[in-house]
Amino acid sequence: MKKIKSLSTLLLAIVLFITSCKKEETAIESTKQVLGFHWHSMIGSEDASYGIQFTTNDGIKFKISDWRYYVSNFVLIKDDGTEYPITDKVFLIDIANEDYSLDSVPVGNYRGFKFTVGLDSATNHKDPTLNPASSPLALQSPSIHWSWNSGYIFMKIEGKYDSTVAQIGGASINQPFFFHVGTDNLKQVIDYSDEPFTVESGEDKMLHIEMDFLKILNSVDLKTENATHTGDNLPLATKISNNWKTAFTLE
Amino acid sequence: MKNISKILFLLLLFASCKKDELKQNNDFPLEIPKGFPKPFIPENNQPTAERIEFGKKLFFDPILSRDSTISCSSCHFTDKKFTDGLAISIGIDNRLGIRNAPTLLNVAYLPTMFWDGGVPNLEQQVLAPIESHFEMDFNLPDVVKRLNTIEEYKTLSLKAYNQLPSIFSITRAIACFERTLYTGKSKYDDFTYYNNKNAFSDAELRGMELFFGEEGDCFHCHGTFLFTDNSFQNNGIYEFYSDSGRARITLNQDDVGLFKVPSLRNCEKTAPYMHDGSFETLEEVIEHYNSGGKNHPNQSSILRPLFLSQKDKSDLVAFLKTLTDEK
Repeated sequence: MKKIKSLSTLLLAIVLFITSCKKEETAIESTKQVLGFHWHSMIGSEDASYGIQFTTNDGIKFKISDWRYYVSNFVLIKDDGTEYPITDKVFLIDIANEDYSLDSVPVGNYRGFKFTVGLDSATNHKDPTLNPASSPLALQSPSIHWSWNSGYIFMKIEGKYDSTVAQIGGASINQPFFFHVGTDNLKQVIDYSDEPFTVESGEDKMLHIEMDFLKILNSVDLKTENATHTGDNLPLATKISNNWKTAFTLE
Repeated sequence: MKNISKILFLLLLFASCKKDELKQNNDFPLEIPKGFPKPFIPENNQPTAERIEFGKKLFFDPILSRDSTISCSSCHFTDKKFTDGLAISIGIDNRLGIRNAPTLLNVAYLPTMFWDGGVPNLEQQVLAPIESHFEMDFNLPDVVKRLNTIEEYKTLSLKAYNQLPSIFSITRAIACFERTLYTGKSKYDDFTYYNNKNAFSDAELRGMELFFGEEGDCFHCHGTFLFTDNSFQNNGIYEFYSDSGRARITLNQDDVGLFKVPSLRNCEKTAPYMHDGSFETLEEVIEHYNSGGKNHPNQSSILRPLFLSQKDKSDLVAFLKTLTDEK
């Protein structure tokens, strides 16, 4: 009987412990605010959109039909210099959408943040069929995953361009271009660890990021460099991946 | 006291439920050939009759292709040892693929899928032919939508995986069906696993000695009960490879022209040979290995001129034909 009594006491203690833990958590929650991003996709100074005619810095007219990419592994740098990683949060950025919610983060001052264009190796090679349909890592339509080598396309850009000398645009924008850039080695860390911001109590924080397609095309001649599935044109895929490092701007 | 018994009861109930579930899954009898080990089967896709039935129906149904014209069985014929007899397989709109369709028999034992090993398991393999522009040219979310309009598939998926047709249930089901496909009842198996030492003719016996000896030297790559070690090798059929093979996955120049060693079981019935179907007969294949290869920089160091006699070559062919499963 004594044993039972002590057991019940133990159970009671556990229950109390759990409830008390929960209460403490709620206390922390109230000092957190949602951090999100306005993610602007640009063609130079214009807002990017599908099916609209744009012009490269070299004067080549083009249209985009698909531009999506993965960003992941966000790390906030706290005021004391320690890192605050946001794990398991992946965005599939589509130029048709601007708002992406990251997480509830502690209010306070931050020195900056960083993130990865692409996915870490473990996430990249996880079985995509295990993800719920709502996950950005679920198989998409159109696909942004290579089923023949089990990895994600980190950035997929497809469209058509005008290959003529006259560059009159319109119906002469009819030559396809596609950049399917992926594989572990081509991910890039975008480092804003020296861009301070503050998350204030009672107010969700939005950071504004710009991504410029014309900067992705830096030193890429669309007339001759217009097709890569990464493996079949590694030099072009590498060039594009390197351009990611300078294609983002924090507003 | 009463409360504790209640908790205990609940715990026991929970434990017993779990056991029941496992029992149902693990006990499904796969017809694994004598002498073969049990293949690895993922915990979340243990075979059941319902799962195999669902997968089998999908395997033979052209619904998986964009225009509903071709199925898995369009390139893996049951009467051709699950190959298609073509050098390069053909997809929808008569599109020419890039490689020779491999057999699916004994596929449960393969550690990687495809000639380049780009995919680690059968479940994920299912995605590739559905999405390939040269094969079914379709898309998994769209397949799911299509199957969810069909009552029979909804019922099959619910019974098999307790969910409506999903990317998860479709890929699991086809893999589950493919893990029921074995080959292991050949004259060679009769000789080796059923101990019928009179099964072989003199030529076949001599061919076997050449095969497993340094003289013919086939066994380094084509040993084991599967007649492949599943390694990647450049077997020197070209000086220049238009298909980079394993390098397509690794992006490593040292892997250009390396392809996964295929099983030789049923090779009498699975011509043409090599990743691109470039050899039409077993005699041609043996002649190639006898020559020592074309000396690509990545060529396997095992290859060398073998100086086989005519009798050696015909005895080797005789032995290879003992790997045919007449089933």
